[in-house]
Amino acid sequence: MSTILRRRSGLGLLAALAVWLLALAGTPAVAADASATPAAAQVERQQTQPLNNAPVWREVRSGEVHFTTVRGPETGVLIQSEGQTWRQWRNGPVTFWGGVLLLVVPTAIGLFFAVKGAVKLHGAPTGRRMQRFSTFERVVHWGTAISFVVLGITGVCILFGKHFIEPVFGNAVLGGLLWAGKNVHNYVGPLFGVFTLLMILAFLRDNVWQAIDSVWIRKAGGIASGEHVPSGRFNFGEKTWFWIGVTFLGLIVAGSGLVMDFPNFGQTRATLQLANIIHGVGAILLIALSLGHIYMGTIGVEGAYQSMKTGYVDETWAKEHHEHWYDEVKAARTGNP
Amino acid sequence: MARMKFLCDAERCIECNSCVTACKNEHEVPWGVNRRRVVTINDGVPGERSMSVACMHCSDAPCIAVCPTNVIYQTEEGVVLHDKDGCIGCGYCFYACPFGAPQFPNGPAAFGARGKMDKCTFCAGGPEENGSQAELEKYGRNRLAEGKLPLCAEMCSTKALLGGDATEISDIFRDRVLRRGKGVEAWGWMTAYGKDKEEAK
Repeated sequence: MSTILRRRSGLGLLAALAVWLLALAGTPAVAADASATPAAAQVERQQTQPLNNAPVWREVRSGEVHFTTVRGPETGVLIQSEGQTWRQWRNGPVTFWGGVLLLVVPTAIGLFFAVKGAVKLHGAPTGRRMQRFSTFERVVHWGTAISFVVLGITGVCILFGKHFIEPVFGNAVLGGLLWAGKNVHNYVGPLFGVFTLLMILAFLRDNVWQAIDSVWIRKAGGIASGEHVPSGRFNFGEKTWFWIGVTFLGLIVAGSGLVMDFPNFGQTRATLQLANIIHGVGAILLIALSLGHIYMGTIGVEGAYQSMKTGYVDETWAKEHHEHWYDEVKAARTGNP
Repeated sequence: MARMKFLCDAERCIECNSCVTACKNEHEVPWGVNRRRVVTINDGVPGERSMSVACMHCSDAPCIAVCPTNVIYQTEEGVVLHDKDGCIGCGYCFYACPFGAPQFPNGPAAFGARGKMDKCTFCAGGPEENGSQAELEKYGRNRLAEGKLPLCAEMCSTKALLGGDATEISDIFRDRVLRRGKGVEAWGWMTAYGKDKEEAK
């Protein structure tokens, strides 16, 4: 660009370009004068070309609301073209790449487990137990977890059931399953939203950034090396799940779900289509992430499941997995959970 | 085999809504559902046009493509029908349809409890046995099985709405366009370019 500007002829070219751009900007302004509205364009067309009613035909495809005596959602719209876009997104990338992700992630986790196995305690359990989660925290966790699993399974069936349930069990089974599934999904959905909000409130304090988290990032959590990495009550992996999974994706999925679950606030089809795509993409990512969390909380780490089931962990477990939290509890600088 | 189609001649439709009424009466359509409606573009402005619209029985129907329970299907005659027994009321067909044909008896209800989808059947009933009581209650009358064409088109006062085999109705429409008092002018200079703007005033 600079070499062109340095040349003398470049300036002339630039001036010509400016004049041309000005002319271009001026033309539509003049044209718009005569046909400010489609209706005005139509009136003008009736005079100049009575046999050619193109303005009307442009209106047909515009998606604007026109006059009709029939009452109902968007009955005045003759043709809505966005439906096709939604169909292509939903039946295309969302179904295909979503399906790929939901097959690849469990496979990868299964391979990881087969190769590395569970993270076991190195030291002997002391037999002394310390409280890791309060009753409130456990109720909130399991409320979210159970509603999430129910929503995940029913949701996956709604999007993918056609491709894996119908070929195996037939259309009648798919229909019956989805009839129940859709109702469960629609009524459990708002409950998940409430639990997600409670979850964020319950665990927010211990999920803020701590200096120690940089160590965890540098050592990649010791997941591959098996190295001991000290952390606070929650390590950086858990914090990532809290912020990206529970908070960001959880709220997006719950919010977009409510838009579709309560269509009785005059939402247009365009709004519902957008909500559906956001809901689908968000939910598939959330399910993929949750598989990692579920793995770590069950078979991946010895003692992790017991901590959320009973609320208590052995002191050895606390020292090996969350050393700084253990130290703080021992020094009575923090409440147990 | 015939390929069934609707065609609405916008030069003829006078927005009398008798197609809407005929359909609603013939099929005893649920309250709040209108399988057919007439939309007027720029109502009250010179050059306004009205068009009657219902399910257009698309060849590559978006509703069929997005239905999660796979209960919408196309007959050999090109008519798009659905099995209400398997409908879960998710509303996806309503999201996808360009013409707003799929409708729900409960409307946009809370918790998505819309009820089972209802739409124009091209007067061809549904998957139940032809002419049975079950078919009548779920889908309305099956006129096609009786050798009759859709009632909306039959009742149209100006014969703007044509329904039937695609080759037949397009022949009728083509003939109309050529004869419509415009003769060779139908696609001539005036249609393409018109009068000068000053001259028109």
